[in-house]
Amino acid sequence: MRITSRLVAPFIQIYGIYVILHGHLSPGGGFSGGAIFGASLVLIALSFNLEAGVKQISHQTASILESGGAFGYVLTGLVAIVLGGNYLANRAAGFPMGQAGQLFSGGAILIITVFVGIKVASTIVTLFYNIIEGEK
Amino acid sequence: MLYIIIIFIIILTLFLRFILGVEARTLLTFYLLGLIIFLFSFTVAEMPPFGSPDNPAFNEVPRRYLESGVTETGAVNIISSVIIDYRAFDTLGEATVLFVAIAAVIATLKSH
Repeated sequence: MRITSRLVAPFIQIYGIYVILHGHLSPGGGFSGGAIFGASLVLIALSFNLEAGVKQISHQTASILESGGAFGYVLTGLVAIVLGGNYLANRAAGFPMGQAGQLFSGGAILIITVFVGIKVASTIVTLFYNIIEGEK
Repeated sequence: MLYIIIIFIIILTLFLRFILGVEARTLLTFYLLGLIIFLFSFTVAEMPPFGSPDNPAFNEVPRRYLESGVTETGAVNIISSVIIDYRAFDTLGEATVLFVAIAAVIATLKSH
């Protein structure tokens, strides 16, 4: 169990990052990719023990990533206002659009997807750790 | 047909209430549940067929998304362009729901 999960976890994490980064090109996105990435960390904590899971990503880091993801989302919307569009505008605010179909295209969509992915992954990890630890 | 159903319900009520001795509250609950099930089944039966081009959901809004979504947002995935560009404020609300959920869990489990 431990050997298998140690072998499988990096591939799950790479697949999660792939799903997040290709959210505007293929099925997936921030929510599903973040769930896959968080599931790999939960798998490590389940197959070893909680200390090994906490060593991967501590509570402090998880909560900073959690708040940072939400803050980055709001900040992207505010940057669109500064650039001269509406709140959370994409093309009207002048984000670089790129060639449709390439990895770096879609302007604000890629940025927001990455922030949402970070946020969902850290949410799942924080939820799991806190429920496992219980009232201590 | 309607009279037959009403007579059947009355006979069933009398039978359950006075011969089997079921309480009136329980009977009322079952009848209300049956009414809800009937209404839901009726609604589902009246819904337009799945995927038909004549459905009322296929109006000018999804047409605009499908025709000019790629040029307006630069994203090939139409779903992604809808949830993160056209409906980005809604997705911000979803992320806020996650944030509030995690805050509630920490506040409940870590309170000393």
